Amino acid sequence: MITIRGLKKRFRGTDALHGVDLDVPTGKVTAFLGPNGAGKTTTIKCAMNLLERDAGSIEVLGCDPRALKPEHWQRIGYVSENQKMPGWMTVPQLLDYVRPMYGKHWDRDFEKKLLAEFDLPLKTKLRSLSRGQAMKAALVSSLAYRPQLVVLDEPFSGLDPLVRDEFLTGLLELTETEGWTVWISSHDIEEVERFADRVAILNNGRVDLQDDVEAIQTRFRAVELVLDQEIPIPAGLPPQWLNFQIRGRAARFTDSNYDESRSTTECQSLLPGVLSRQVRPMNLREIFVALAKSYRGQREPQP
Amino acid sequence: MFHATCNTYHTPPMLPFSFQLRDGEPVSDQIVRAAHRALASGELREGDLFPSVRVLAQELRISPTTAFKVVQELKDLGFLVSRPGIGMVVQAPQLPSLDQRLALMEPSARRFLDEARALHLTADDLELLLRRLQNPES
Repeated sequence: MITIRGLKKRFRGTDALHGVDLDVPTGKVTAFLGPNGAGKTTTIKCAMNLLERDAGSIEVLGCDPRALKPEHWQRIGYVSENQKMPGWMTVPQLLDYVRPMYGKHWDRDFEKKLLAEFDLPLKTKLRSLSRGQAMKAALVSSLAYRPQLVVLDEPFSGLDPLVRDEFLTGLLELTETEGWTVWISSHDIEEVERFADRVAILNNGRVDLQDDVEAIQTRFRAVELVLDQEIPIPAGLPPQWLNFQIRGRAARFTDSNYDESRSTTECQSLLPGVLSRQVRPMNLREIFVALAKSYRGQREPQP
Repeated sequence: MFHATCNTYHTPPMLPFSFQLRDGEPVSDQIVRAAHRALASGELREGDLFPSVRVLAQELRISPTTAFKVVQELKDLGFLVSRPGIGMVVQAPQLPSLDQRLALMEPSARRFLDEARALHLTADDLELLLRRLQNPES
């Protein structure tokens, strides 16, 4: 649905994106994660043709975003954290205003259902809505035409848990649309952990890791060992062992490509006297932190 | 409290069994296992309506792809049938093969064994424990 290769963008002499490669496959929910300032919004804006890119290629619905036609935009729903809306309009006025742009795709019944579900005030002007209400209004105006591709830029930031829940329920109303694809950015992994089929992690203007959530969860394991004596960190540790640490007789690391029998053999051959070995699955947050630590370690080698 | 009365028409049906998602294990595996348990315990009975993919996704806040996978897997295992016009209906399946049933036990068995290993318990000790739990009187 979206393919990005080597995307670069500079702002006033600072590199914001240094070659982003990213895929948003059809029919899946792809979470686009990374700390604030990593370049998520810039990437999304380039894909939505709201920003000019400096280098690289982007395809959205099979087209360069600069060549997207109204027919394409009728199939894309885009909601961003800082959506600009005409403050003097009420919610029904906003919907009356955008509805004709989507022609036959606009589903009046679905619009009514979403409005009822979101419990939106109909007589208040948009500028007087709370943040959560404004986001829900934006979502109604971007979902009512049953888009094939939904792009959400930090939709949850600043929303209270109840509104976030309603927002997700509304979004999931579209589940049965054929080939429905979602690209959702967030700085908070826990917000999207279960909801995402796939994650792409952006760090310092580059995508560090992108894969299916299940594949990542199968690959990563936290391993804790108890040794029979204190030893220094051995040389020649496998490259997939991240953040290897020893404290007293306990050793701990993240195996980024776990395999039960290989791990057993490696632990026994590299570390003498393993008394116990505990292996546990990790959640996405732990994996993200382990990776971030390991990248930092690679950038500043220990003396 | 009558909180449900004000806004009932779009309230999705609840998941017909109780369970809590845990971190770090594929969500679809967890749900399929919970459905198995619910059938075994009688929480889920033949003829019960099972939520659609959309409702399942909304209830658990999971991705539609995962919800679809869960439903597909439960159908393949013979737990669900689609009744046109009604939706997905629970049916009591043929008992799955021994391998399938053992595969379902594997995650908890692994945790059990890890803990046993930490306590230096042998397979014989564990067998004794299991027998005692099965027949508390003897």
